[in-house]
Amino acid sequence: MNLSKILKNAFLIILASLVLTACATKKTSTTSGQMQGDVYTGSDSVEYLASGVPDRVFFATNETVLTTASRETLRKQAGWLRKNSDINVVLEGHADERGTREYNLALGERRANSAKDYLMTYGISSDRISVLSYGKERPIDSGSSPLAWSKNRRSVTVKAN
Amino acid sequence: MLLRYLFILLIIIPAKAFALIEVDITRGNLNPLPVAVSPLSIDNKSKENFKKILKKEDLGSEISIVVENNLRQSGLFNPLNKDAFLQEPDVANLKPRFEDWNLIKAQALVTGKVTFVDEKLRVEFRLWDILAGKEMMALAFTTVPSNWRRVGHIITDKVYERLTGEKGYFDTRIIYIAEEGPKTNRIKKLAIMDQDGFNNKYLTLGNELVLTPRFSPTNQMVTYLSYFRNLPRVYLLDIETGMQEVVGDFPGMTFAPRFSPDGKKIIMSFAKDGNSDIYTMDLENRIVERVTNHPSIDTSPSYSPDGKRITFNSDRSGYQQIYVMDSNGKNVKRISFGNGLYGTPVWSPRGDLIAFTKLHKGKFYIGVMRTDGTGERLLTENFYQEAPSWSPNGRVLIFYRETKTNSKGEGFSAKLWSIDLTGYNEKMVETETDASDPSWSSLLSN
Amino acid sequence: MNRNIFISFGLHIFLVIITALSLPFLAKKPIDLPPIISVELIQITDKTNIPFAPKAKKIIEKVKVKEKKLVSEQAPPKKIKKQKPDAVPLPDEKIKKIKKIKDEKQNPEKVETEVKQISEFEKKELFDTNSIAALIDKSKTESAETNKKLDKVTQDQDKEMDFGGLTLSEEDALKAQIFGCWSIPLGLPFNEDLLVRIKLQLKPDGSIIKTEILDHARMNRPGQGFYKVLAESALRAIKLCQPLRVPSTGYERWKDMQLNFDAREMLEG
Repeated sequence: MNLSKILKNAFLIILASLVLTACATKKTSTTSGQMQGDVYTGSDSVEYLASGVPDRVFFATNETVLTTASRETLRKQAGWLRKNSDINVVLEGHADERGTREYNLALGERRANSAKDYLMTYGISSDRISVLSYGKERPIDSGSSPLAWSKNRRSVTVKAN
Repeated sequence: MLLRYLFILLIIIPAKAFALIEVDITRGNLNPLPVAVSPLSIDNKSKENFKKILKKEDLGSEISIVVENNLRQSGLFNPLNKDAFLQEPDVANLKPRFEDWNLIKAQALVTGKVTFVDEKLRVEFRLWDILAGKEMMALAFTTVPSNWRRVGHIITDKVYERLTGEKGYFDTRIIYIAEEGPKTNRIKKLAIMDQDGFNNKYLTLGNELVLTPRFSPTNQMVTYLSYFRNLPRVYLLDIETGMQEVVGDFPGMTFAPRFSPDGKKIIMSFAKDGNSDIYTMDLENRIVERVTNHPSIDTSPSYSPDGKRITFNSDRSGYQQIYVMDSNGKNVKRISFGNGLYGTPVWSPRGDLIAFTKLHKGKFYIGVMRTDGTGERLLTENFYQEAPSWSPNGRVLIFYRETKTNSKGEGFSAKLWSIDLTGYNEKMVETETDASDPSWSSLLSN
Repeated sequence: MNRNIFISFGLHIFLVIITALSLPFLAKKPIDLPPIISVELIQITDKTNIPFAPKAKKIIEKVKVKEKKLVSEQAPPKKIKKQKPDAVPLPDEKIKKIKKIKDEKQNPEKVETEVKQISEFEKKELFDTNSIAALIDKSKTESAETNKKLDKVTQDQDKEMDFGGLTLSEEDALKAQIFGCWSIPLGLPFNEDLLVRIKLQLKPDGSIIKTEILDHARMNRPGQGFYKVLAESALRAIKLCQPLRVPSTGYERWKDMQLNFDAREMLEG
């Protein structure tokens, strides 16, 4: 093998490897900083039970586990409920539209229940909390984008009386 | 001796002929069969009577139009243009001139006669094989005049069965959710209509959210989910009387209801403390039985036509999949194994297939698989569609589709669609409003 | 830290050098075109008359076995029946043919190709007549061979018609015509036997004299209602397709024809 050939080869290989390294990996997390992974972290649709007490927590697709942020919110809710012991609440669970209707009803119920269980660990009696699922029937955002869907995967604490 | 010679004779003589040429015909065309549906003949007196009662100019023509549209919608028949018909309806009904009908390429012909007898509607019809030049079928019906559309549907069922070998599905109704309003606050009502879109009626007012209605096998009752008083529960509605009653006395949300094939039980999901399991309730003695007992979500149950097994949706494997079990809850077996999520399993009335919704890589599919999970076939793909329901002959699936909304959240619509089991004849089912959650009744006439 | 970078760099360069040495260079090489061979197109329809080729081997084996049996079985009865042939009122043509066949020189191979022409349907007749005809004929071995000949299409005059079936192109033409006429009822159950066989008697111009559905009894059997629908659709196809696309010559060989309509392929697929 003559020298020119070897040099040509070497050149090609170096070029190829440079091309590869130049490709940036796609960032899967959201652009606007309102989602972390799949979970909504923004404040657009959030309402407040009282000053500093957000009324809702958000979930990842098909998930019913509470994120750290959710637990933070629920702790605040528990605190507020302890201070206002005459108030009862309904936890309304929701799902996004990217699923079958009946399963989403069950998913919403499970999400609301996750929130309820957590509130109970902070001493709120189950008599004060009831659970209701709306599945995908009551989206807060009618858009068809991942951001809209993330806003809809929620459990909302609503004053019952 | 003589017998032996006769025997030889019998063997030899046919052998004298040339070897019989055999040609294998293994292909044909799947084109719709050209049929001619002649307007039914009607005498002037009957015509006047029906015009008075029903406000229809020519009932004979109207009934034939019902038949024609049904046949066309099925995708299997091509009803020919009436303008080309050479014979008058009354003559054709007695003895068609087959050459005339052959000229316009009709292979089958429907003729008939309508009469007003004793305040009732009497219809007789005949089906003719044009190429063979003979009558294939002749039947007569008597009913109240207001049922005239049903007569057209029954005629279609008979013609369909005689020409395809399969039972028809035209004398049926569809119950569905009629919806209106913005996506964030939809008004939903229970609605019922004939399978061809006529005779649409609303059964609830839209004051509370209603979802997933299903017919009972007797077609008298409907079971569905209602958020009456903000408490989501399964209800029963009598179509004739309009009476509604809640099913059972469950301390939590019940949903996803269906009837058992004998119409005696309601099977549904009951959600409590984050867990959804499948329960049945006997409508007579009100006894409630638990069928599944698992910390996963178990929902969308559907009985096999013989009532011995149940297919349902469960995420016990971590994701939504389809399972089959005995009706007592034993022998639970998973049958969906493809890539993606599976939901809304429905057992075919023929007992051979289970239809389902599949979600994979952001797309929704309507598909069928055999009851052991093999032979999965996806029939149609869309941005969003779900909840197939079978026609009573197990041949057509009706389901619903929703459209994307734009960045402003506008452009949303939901419509009913149907598709043939072979994947052909995918088309939208017209409804006055947006529609979802369709359920097909069994044949009204039995 | 620097040392590590140095080592890493060195190893990378090493890799590049190895790869460079072992890779073939991707330069364009001249393409070697093979020399052009001229090809002549010839008609082979006369010779391709083997409608049942795949089954041929099976049939040949079976026939060979039967041949042996026949030859040995024929011996005893022959002695007794020697006088009988005259009494049997055989049609004249038959006798003529037998004589002709005897005159021709028979290769074993030719016999075998004849065998190919027989459809499975006819196989029974073949062997029956063999044993019977053996009673009539004088010679032992000849009889075995000639008997086979008896059942064959033997319009000896016309070379084209040596074999009994349609040529490939004739068959294709007829099939294509009927494919277009047959509206397959989509409602048929695709896991059942969907074969309906129809015997036809044709006029020289391809129009139909008579149709006969084999397995007629199946039309009215309970649970087989679809068979009636299938059979009717096949009959409609035939009627619709009149006049059939028949060969222009050799009326004698195709005036009786059987069409086997099988819907399975279309419905299963």
